[in-house]
Amino acid sequence: MAVSRKALKALSGVYGVTHRQPLFFPSKLGCSAILSTRSVFERDYRRPGQPPDTRWPWQKIHFDFSKGVEGIKKHIGLLKDEFVQRWTGPEGRPLLEHMLEQTRVQWEFRGPESLDQWVVSSDQEIGGHSVAYTKLGKNNTTCFLYGSLCSTPPRDGETRYSGYCTLRSKQPLASFDRKKTYDWSSFNTLHMRIRGDGRPWMVNVSAETFFSHQRDDIYSYFLYTRGGPYWQDVKIPFSKFFLSSRGRIQDNQHVLWLDKVKSIGFTLGDKADGPFQLEIDFIGLCNDLAHTEEFAYELYKRNPEV
Amino acid sequence: MNPYVLTVLLSSLGLGTTLTFASSHWLLAWMGLEINTLAIVPLMAQHHHPRAVEATTKYFLTQATAAAMILFASTTNAWITGEWDMNNMSNPIASTMIITALALKIGLAPMHFWMPEVLQGLDLLTGLILSTWQKLAPLALIVQTAQAIDPMLLTALGLTSTLVGGWGGLNQTQLRKILAYSSIAHMGWMLIVLQYAPQLTLLALLTYIFMTSAAFLTLKVSSATKVNTLAVVWSKSPVLTATTALVLLSLGGLPPLTGFMPKWLILQELAKQSLPLTATVMALAALLSLYFYLRLCYAMTLTISPNTTAATTPWRAQTTQASLPLALFTTMALGLLPVSPAIVMLVT
Repeated sequence: MAVSRKALKALSGVYGVTHRQPLFFPSKLGCSAILSTRSVFERDYRRPGQPPDTRWPWQKIHFDFSKGVEGIKKHIGLLKDEFVQRWTGPEGRPLLEHMLEQTRVQWEFRGPESLDQWVVSSDQEIGGHSVAYTKLGKNNTTCFLYGSLCSTPPRDGETRYSGYCTLRSKQPLASFDRKKTYDWSSFNTLHMRIRGDGRPWMVNVSAETFFSHQRDDIYSYFLYTRGGPYWQDVKIPFSKFFLSSRGRIQDNQHVLWLDKVKSIGFTLGDKADGPFQLEIDFIGLCNDLAHTEEFAYELYKRNPEV
Repeated sequence: MNPYVLTVLLSSLGLGTTLTFASSHWLLAWMGLEINTLAIVPLMAQHHHPRAVEATTKYFLTQATAAAMILFASTTNAWITGEWDMNNMSNPIASTMIITALALKIGLAPMHFWMPEVLQGLDLLTGLILSTWQKLAPLALIVQTAQAIDPMLLTALGLTSTLVGGWGGLNQTQLRKILAYSSIAHMGWMLIVLQYAPQLTLLALLTYIFMTSAAFLTLKVSSATKVNTLAVVWSKSPVLTATTALVLLSLGGLPPLTGFMPKWLILQELAKQSLPLTATVMALAALLSLYFYLRLCYAMTLTISPNTTAATTPWRAQTTQASLPLALFTTMALGLLPVSPAIVMLVT
């Protein structure tokens, strides 16, 4: 019977506190040779199958004076911009522009640096076999997400389902790497131009979550792609997004508040093994004046008194 | 919310503030503050929205920290001086800690960071209670302990709050955050004159309550939480648009509206106390606040937005809405300047 992952973590935590087995001292305890190199204070996620990082913290630092100077220049420049922008208006634009704005292109893929704002991952993190990659499409004008899904679960004794991949945007950062959020409160619809292969994707919007019990809250909706050479304009009102936490749709549904949006992501998990492709031209927002719905899901009283 | 629960919570709010008003013992005052905090927590989280729960948690943590600091400071003072009485705060450490805790309670800069986030997560009525009623008890304690507190600290808190309130509100497009920064700035004005003329602090508090209540109730009637929604209110209720613009200018401190009265009297008092530099800095900081009030007036009344709001709520006339409080507070927020001599006589 395989030892459960939680027991392994607990054991490794205990051993990690008492002694860290680095390169210098060989492990004396036979069974702790694997476990003892993990410290409870390790914050980096270690993907299964990868060897543990046994370096001491000071060995992980790469001190470089020029990198430091560039970093200081960049962050002080950003801070100065933040101060100066205040005199212009909200988000550095005049108020009239904010009031008149009805559409905005938030992400468009027009160069290699646009892909740096996105993170692609798949179930390889939990030991699965799906692969996903991004590259720029034709003429460097689109984001091409491709790969292969494999729903064979990893053989770790506890995972039952697998087979997903996701493309998620990174949270924008202000000066000194402080987290910033998008203010999409002037809009009510997500507008994307995509070209898929007929697979059903999910669009996930994550709002700013301050406390840890809300960290897994994500608002999702479906994105059905039509395979084919023609581009697809998809408009999803934000009132349609439903709340889920750790993948479980919540009974208490709430509308997505658009004043603090952290990131957007696309997930594929349709249990169909094989290759997939999704090409994205742009992701934008618009204010659809004909759309008056505030929230698409009615809440009914559970356990009514009889 | 269940009407019985609502009654209990609102009564507890009243009880907590009254207890603090009536107390001269630090423990009883602390108890009143804690009752207030605990009573408003269910009101804040009643909608169960993740942002409302987040705002409630942030509010609870800050208020509990402040209450713990008050308890610690009063215990320290009792240990050193042997007195639990509020008028006998002779220990400087205890008095500094007390004013810091009370500043955290009411959202004075530099302990103001929770205020915009918390107000943004709440609905407008709860935000109104938070901005007005919840300030009464801590301010009563500040007024009672003012003579024991370092004057430089009071001046620094007042100046910082006014500047931060003006600077922070400059680029906000969310109306609740604007009102939060307005609250911070007004608290600064109240604190700056506390050591010279506490009656002017109380006058400023009263006028602030009238003006803020008028602002919050107007926003509730028009269901406006963003500047863009405010820009289309003129087509729904033109009279309310006109009076709201005047209420905002009153918040900005322009004559001949009520908001000018406390600012004028405070600046006069500061000049009498030979503090021209402080008075100048306060007046200049008020200009920052005036800018964002004017911006709201501009968006609401001086331009006609080409957008129409897509939300159905503003179109729906709320027939069950009580209009008396709004009418009362608006009138008081606009028309009290001519009776300033009588008010000054009453207050001093």
